[in-house]
Amino acid sequence: MDFDDTPEEAEYRAGVRRALEQHAAELLHVSAGEEAVDAATAEAELRRTQRVLYETGLVGVTWPREHGGQGGTLVQQAIVQQELARARVPTLINHIGLGMCGPTVIAHGSDDQRQRYLTRLLRADDVWCQLFSEPASGSDLAALRTTAVRDGDDWVVNGQKVWTTLAHVADRGILLTRTDPGKPKHAGLTMFVVDMHAPGVTVRPLRQMIGSAGFNEVFFDDVRIPDGERLGEPGEGWRVALTTLMNERVAIGGAGSDLGIPVEALVAHARQRLPQLDHDRQVLARQALGRAVVASLATRYTGYRRFSELGRGGVPGAEASAGKLAGTAAAKLVADAGVRLLGDDAVYAATAEGDETWQRSQGFLPGLAIAGGTDQVLRNILGERVLGLPPEPRADKTAPFSGGAR
Amino acid sequence: MNFDLGPDQRDAAAGARDFYRGSASPSAARAALEGGDVAPGRKALADIGFLGITVPESAGGAGGSLLDLAVVAEQGGAVLAGPSLATAARAAVLLAEAPDLAARLADGSAAFAVLDGPVTGSSPSMDAAGATLFLGLDDGALVLGEGGATPGRPLDATRGLASVRLTSRRVLADDAAQLWARAQQVATVVLAAEDLGAADAAVRMAVGYAQQREAFGRRIGSYQAVKHMLVDAWVGVDQLRSLVWWAAWAADAAPDELPLAASAAKALAAEVLERAAETCIQVHGGIGFTWEHDAHLYWRRAKVDRLLLGDAAEHLDAVARLAVAGALG
Repeated sequence: MDFDDTPEEAEYRAGVRRALEQHAAELLHVSAGEEAVDAATAEAELRRTQRVLYETGLVGVTWPREHGGQGGTLVQQAIVQQELARARVPTLINHIGLGMCGPTVIAHGSDDQRQRYLTRLLRADDVWCQLFSEPASGSDLAALRTTAVRDGDDWVVNGQKVWTTLAHVADRGILLTRTDPGKPKHAGLTMFVVDMHAPGVTVRPLRQMIGSAGFNEVFFDDVRIPDGERLGEPGEGWRVALTTLMNERVAIGGAGSDLGIPVEALVAHARQRLPQLDHDRQVLARQALGRAVVASLATRYTGYRRFSELGRGGVPGAEASAGKLAGTAAAKLVADAGVRLLGDDAVYAATAEGDETWQRSQGFLPGLAIAGGTDQVLRNILGERVLGLPPEPRADKTAPFSGGAR
Repeated sequence: MNFDLGPDQRDAAAGARDFYRGSASPSAARAALEGGDVAPGRKALADIGFLGITVPESAGGAGGSLLDLAVVAEQGGAVLAGPSLATAARAAVLLAEAPDLAARLADGSAAFAVLDGPVTGSSPSMDAAGATLFLGLDDGALVLGEGGATPGRPLDATRGLASVRLTSRRVLADDAAQLWARAQQVATVVLAAEDLGAADAAVRMAVGYAQQREAFGRRIGSYQAVKHMLVDAWVGVDQLRSLVWWAAWAADAAPDELPLAASAAKALAAEVLERAAETCIQVHGGIGFTWEHDAHLYWRRAKVDRLLLGDAAEHLDAVARLAVAGALG
């Protein structure tokens, strides 16, 4: 047991670090404490940054070489991510494309689609988004209502998607539609690649409870998609979507990375704030701090165990869902302790000095418990796939979607 | 990074599982409540070498790491075995400079217990009932002596709790506060490892029942109210395993990390075992709170262990203080 890189990993990490230093001037960097860069305001720099990283061999690490990737391992991918974070290079603008859309095109696209799309995706010539969720189908994705109807060599799409990350800057998207409402809900779906600049596509930023807009609503009004942009056979959309969703789990499952604010930042905050509290409040604050530290470390070291399994060639399984479930809970404890340490400022959206770090994190976390698998869906996954508990009986799996079994 | 057990530790865990399953059980823990012996007992643990896992080879032990001991302790926890390997590990640290005594710990020829609180009238201390030699901290000095043990009516008889008043004492080491603190941290990690095993067993028992028991026309594990409760208990066990391994590893490989890691593991262990045991009873319904069923034996272990060697609140406070003082780097 050890927490060090193997010699091969250390060599790979050193190479990554050298490359990031060598190209530092060409890359966008964020300052400490800054969480994310707005894709719209920094779009050009973000695209350039990914392009430079691609040319350095740090994008598409796990993708097969024949599709423009590096043919590397998940551990190498994790090392690249750690080093990008260390160098304060922001999340790649095409992270949705790299983590989910690209692998789906690789698995289900035609040779022509792979040829046209994958290299451009890796270089961020095209930014991709994933058009799955709808107002009436969140956790129950297969209940979606956006329709695609065959018309000659095209399909005509109508409907609305929501919670679409990056749609406001995206050039392409993978789009899950209902093509046969007469079939049961999972059997009547078809996946397409859609041109986000096509006539009839309207993108509207969606303002979240915290005030800012990281997601979008996307409306499709008689949008025509050529049949050649279909991913997989008509009616096979659910199977195609599962490829995407499995890759999403790999992308979010994490290897010991903190969701929310790193616990070290909370400790530094406490170091400053604790002495300002009276004795009794210090006692209570230390309880909250201790709880947040324990939960964060437990999640982090569990991530290290999963990471070690990947290093031995393991495949991320349903256990990865536990990482998000526990990580979200830990992040809430961290944010809550951070806010409470603010004293009187805790009831405001920012401190008197204008610092909103802790309040923003607090307001971001209710969404984290929903996005990318709600806490409840994650518990179902863990209960059924890891503990082997029986699923709930369902009435919606066999009857035609149009018959009301939604 | 390789945050996993090695092949030797996996083999040791498998061997320990077989040994403990053959020599201890929840039924034995129930019998102990009714006056029976604690199983497997000191002699059996000495014979198989578990009391000396961390005793140096030169003193007749196995010279193993705390992680080697923790993976064995987890298996003992799963069947509510006693005496605790936390006592052996703690005594082994305290007897590092006394190889003759360490040899008697390892071969079982003396029955050691370590006293919490004043040696003139200790707090309830683990495995003190039936011990013949007691280690204690007296005015900063490590002392060894004989004494009289007064047990209370047991909530969990496998812990051998008793208050002790030393009738004789000799000083083994002056200025032993640091040694004492390390021994306590080591014992805390082993106790957390036993709690890990107990919590894992309680969750497995509950999951097994939820897969079979039917109510309202279907298996109860299919109801989300039951399923989610079991998942939360399981996630706790999975997370506790990570902290126990880290803390046990740190004891030998990164001693600076031990105080925070040990407290983190113990704080989480208290909550995880309690939740696992209470979930186990709840999922079993009516049968779950009978004397005949095993669930309450895990619950008893949880209710006692959570308070031994510092409760969760004390350890959370220690984690906070250590972190603020720079222990997280």
